[in-house]
Amino acid sequence: MTGDALSPSGMTGHWLRSAGRTLLSLPFAYAAMLILLVVAYFMRPALLSPMLLLLIARQTAPLGIAVLGQSLCMRVLSLDLSTGGVIVGVSYILTSGLLPYSEPVLLLIAVVFGIAVGLLNAFFITRLRASSVIVTLAVTLVITGVAVAFSQLRSPGDAPEILRQVARLKIGIVPVVLVIWAALLLAVAVFIRWSVFGRYIDAIGANPRAAWVSGIPYVRVVTIVHVMSSLFSVFAGFLLIGFVGVGSMDLGRDLALNSLAAVILGGVTFGSGKGGVLGPTVAALMLTFSFNLLTSLGLGEPAKLMLQGIIIGVAAAAYSVQRRN
Amino acid sequence: MISFDKVTKRFGSNLALCDVSFDCDAGTVHAITGENGAGKSTLMNLLAGLFPADSGEIRLRGKPVSPENPADARRLGISTIFQELTLLPNLTIAENLFLGREPIRRGTVDRAAMREQARSMMARLGSSMDVDAYCGDLSVADLHLVEIAKGVSVDADIFIFDEPTAALNAPEVEKLGELLATLKAAGKLVFYVSHRLEEIFRFCDRVSVLKDGLHVETRATQALTRDELVSLMVGRVLSKFFPARPARPDGAPVALSVDDLQVRDGGPTVSFDLRRGEIVGLAGLEGQGQRNIIRALSGLEPSVGGKVMKGSEAGPTPLGGDVVKTVLAGVGFVPEDRKTEGLYLPLSINENITLGMLRRLPVWQMVRGRHHVIAGLMRRLNIRSAGARQAVGELSGGNQQKVMIGRWLAAGIDVLLLEEPTRGVDVGAKAEIYGLLREFTNGGGAVLTVSSELLELLGLCDRILVVRRNEIVAELDGAQTSEEEVMRHALVGGAEDGGRADA
Amino acid sequence: MAGVPMPDLARKSRRTGLSPIVLALPLALFFLLCLSSGTFRSLENLANVNSQIAALMIASLGQGIVAISGGIDLSVGSVMSLTSAILVTADPAWGVPLALAMGVGVGLVNGFGVTLFRVHPLVMTLATMTFVQGVALLLHPVPGGAVPGYLRTLAVSQVAGLPAAFFWCAAAILAAWYLLGRSPFGLRTYAVGANPVSAGRNGIAVTRLKVACFVLCSLSAVVAGIFLTARVGAGDATMGNPYSLDTVTAMALGGVQLAGGTGSVLGIVAGVITLGLISNGMNLLGVSPFLRAALTGGLLLVAIGLQRREAIGA
Repeated sequence: MTGDALSPSGMTGHWLRSAGRTLLSLPFAYAAMLILLVVAYFMRPALLSPMLLLLIARQTAPLGIAVLGQSLCMRVLSLDLSTGGVIVGVSYILTSGLLPYSEPVLLLIAVVFGIAVGLLNAFFITRLRASSVIVTLAVTLVITGVAVAFSQLRSPGDAPEILRQVARLKIGIVPVVLVIWAALLLAVAVFIRWSVFGRYIDAIGANPRAAWVSGIPYVRVVTIVHVMSSLFSVFAGFLLIGFVGVGSMDLGRDLALNSLAAVILGGVTFGSGKGGVLGPTVAALMLTFSFNLLTSLGLGEPAKLMLQGIIIGVAAAAYSVQRRN
Repeated sequence: MISFDKVTKRFGSNLALCDVSFDCDAGTVHAITGENGAGKSTLMNLLAGLFPADSGEIRLRGKPVSPENPADARRLGISTIFQELTLLPNLTIAENLFLGREPIRRGTVDRAAMREQARSMMARLGSSMDVDAYCGDLSVADLHLVEIAKGVSVDADIFIFDEPTAALNAPEVEKLGELLATLKAAGKLVFYVSHRLEEIFRFCDRVSVLKDGLHVETRATQALTRDELVSLMVGRVLSKFFPARPARPDGAPVALSVDDLQVRDGGPTVSFDLRRGEIVGLAGLEGQGQRNIIRALSGLEPSVGGKVMKGSEAGPTPLGGDVVKTVLAGVGFVPEDRKTEGLYLPLSINENITLGMLRRLPVWQMVRGRHHVIAGLMRRLNIRSAGARQAVGELSGGNQQKVMIGRWLAAGIDVLLLEEPTRGVDVGAKAEIYGLLREFTNGGGAVLTVSSELLELLGLCDRILVVRRNEIVAELDGAQTSEEEVMRHALVGGAEDGGRADA
Repeated sequence: MAGVPMPDLARKSRRTGLSPIVLALPLALFFLLCLSSGTFRSLENLANVNSQIAALMIASLGQGIVAISGGIDLSVGSVMSLTSAILVTADPAWGVPLALAMGVGVGLVNGFGVTLFRVHPLVMTLATMTFVQGVALLLHPVPGGAVPGYLRTLAVSQVAGLPAAFFWCAAAILAAWYLLGRSPFGLRTYAVGANPVSAGRNGIAVTRLKVACFVLCSLSAVVAGIFLTARVGAGDATMGNPYSLDTVTAMALGGVQLAGGTGSVLGIVAGVITLGLISNGMNLLGVSPFLRAALTGGLLLVAIGLQRREAIGA
């Protein structure tokens, strides 16, 4: 301790500075959400009604679940852009009627399918050390191509009744979907915070080379992360299919990029070794809210894409600058 | 020509250079020497433009200069032959020699002229290498020659040679001597960074000695004897730092038995036993394969053949080829490069140490904080910090090293493999680390270490294995042997081929 | 070892990434297709193949420059799309200059994002890819519109019996060959790709060079977009979509290491032809376009899986 730090003025200055630093180190998502709410208050106050907010939250659920997986991937310095592909696959499995099984069996098959995609991604990324972005994009191409080609033979039908029920049901005024999302969120947060697995994720994120050298089961951790991410995509797909009610080859197409944007905005970046679950979740809400705002302002798909691009680029650059200071 | 005036440089909390001041004249070969970590390279890197000084001034012909990058330094007339090679493996010798200043003819790189000049540049060093060979295909010694040729070909007034002979054989060192004489005769100032006494006396006119970042002396080499120079470099009695070696009972159980381990195809094999309660050092010149041996044992580098058994109560278990399994078997590895391979710099002391303790737990296991264990360990290791939550990146080198060793102590491993156990660590922490290692072996652990500081091995180890060309050529009793004896084994016959090992 | 004679190809492969397979693959495919399909052999189809791959060739050569410098550019496809949108919406006299200026802009953003802001090239170019796609859709939401006549002529006419596409390809290959193989810029690009730190110590301005590579890549995407739009004869704001990944596939097939420092114009050309022939072959064999997309994805997986990298992850 220097004399300066102990003097009263020094103490206040120090406190202010550390408070400022804490504020600055909060994920951008919080500030962005706040700004957005203010903008909405002045431009489209209707969006702020409780019923509409609940609806937006419900609408966010699939993205929110996909974001859980994406943030885990990002924390081990990988990325998963196969969300869209997995969902198209799941949609086809559940709705094409090609597989003559009962609904629970079909759901189980979809889960197994998700695990298989996760393992495939992980195999290419960890064993063959291919770039995760390229691998997961290529896997998406393969799944989507096959599913769409098959759907020429047999077009998708109705969604399983269970999923439509889940999408409809409410507890009081709270949609069941939100409860499911919250439960998954909590489970992941607790698991990552307190398990050996969570510690390993932090270690790999902070210094992958050191994790390797000190004997952390690197390959196993990254593999599990990718399987988890694919499973979250499957769950996100379940919700989406429930919402829509029928199968479609266009479901969840923008989920991969949206989840990437949400994760970056939520404060998880490459190489920091840090990152929570809450930041990306708030970011997911913020993204969905902003898309609704854009739509209500008469701006459609193009504005959405531009916003996504700006968020990914600017947030990634800003965090990288912040980390260096 | 160059004056250093109160030059100071810190890295984090580590004071690398402190108020260094001396002058150097044109037309001389000026040696910069000192122990590892004394600040030799740091001082030269300031001049080479790799980073700026924190305070103080470097004056070139009386004018203050602070080169911002290597290109800037080159413009000022300073050419550096870096210790780490800067040649690109995917470029030919000729292309590497002219990278950044390619001869141009009609809008294209003039390859004929480049080849021609490259050949004559290499010829100056007595080499007739094919200048169209890709540098990735060359041996380490050849690469150093090319690196030297590149540095010297620059039209500069000041040349910095940073440990140029580490990988060269005798005739090549001879040629280098001639080259230095030519440069001197042309009125250039040559900095010669080395701790090889023989070369300092043979090649250099003046010598500046650094110790722990401080400038000790600058003298004419003619006015110095070998012993005087050594005492300037060391200047303290090292034996006080080292813990006492306990008497070794002969029948101590084997902790690690290495049988015919072969680290490269067609290379020689090594066999030795590491017993509980002892510290064994692998000594030898740089690049003779000590590192490959210890990295193969840790599972980081593949071994071609051989058998490594880990002794334990339940009987010997085989090790091999996999870091995760090696750690699980109770063998921990401490790498030389803390920052890139050892520590998680953004994470806290607590997290860095806890990660070792998790090694036997399944990944889904929930763990609670072990603050009292960590706190106890931090007291035992005497880690000076603002608390267990402080990020490891903010600690000094010595404390970082202790965290790295502490991780394995907390993990309950019984064999420690260490690379350069005290590199970049201040004197006080060195003694503490030696004490820790001895405490560890007294408790039944075993330590195998590689170090380029011979005095460290002599003071610390129970046994010293001398490695030359990937082979163990001598086994010496650490308490009985001397620097001369180790060097004799390390050099005999091997000097001819020194450094070819990594080719 | 310097003294040991080595076959030229093997020795140079350290830099070129060329292997017998890279070169044999397009030839083998060519003969295979000649044997299996009569239509393939026809001059019409060959000219058609040439036109089909011209845009991919031009874009891939740009991607190759970035890849050799150690980066990757996923915004190639969107830049092509936006070029298409600009050509059919802007004043005919201004279309091409505007598109080129846009290319320079995107390249600068990518380059500075990657260098000064140190964003991972994949993340940075994903961001610009998304943004540029948005702009393209904003500008030209529905496919259609007229392409300036002179561009149409430049893209579809024949000279001396050769399709215009041939000359576009030849010009692009020549330019890339000069840049990478003959100019100081090329040598420095290889150096930076292999090891930016060492290259910096040799006095090379690493940041400036990397930015230049991204700008060149975006510019080549603009040229590819101009050609494609002119050939199709209408604007389409999603026209470039498949090209981002197809150019990466061409890299992997052509022996260009995405880790940087290894690759050659000959390899890229071979990779593009391989991909083009596979595509054309599947077309002739009547494979559904969706399955074709799936197979292209599979091809990318295999090709990228065969490249060795150090790092695991992004």
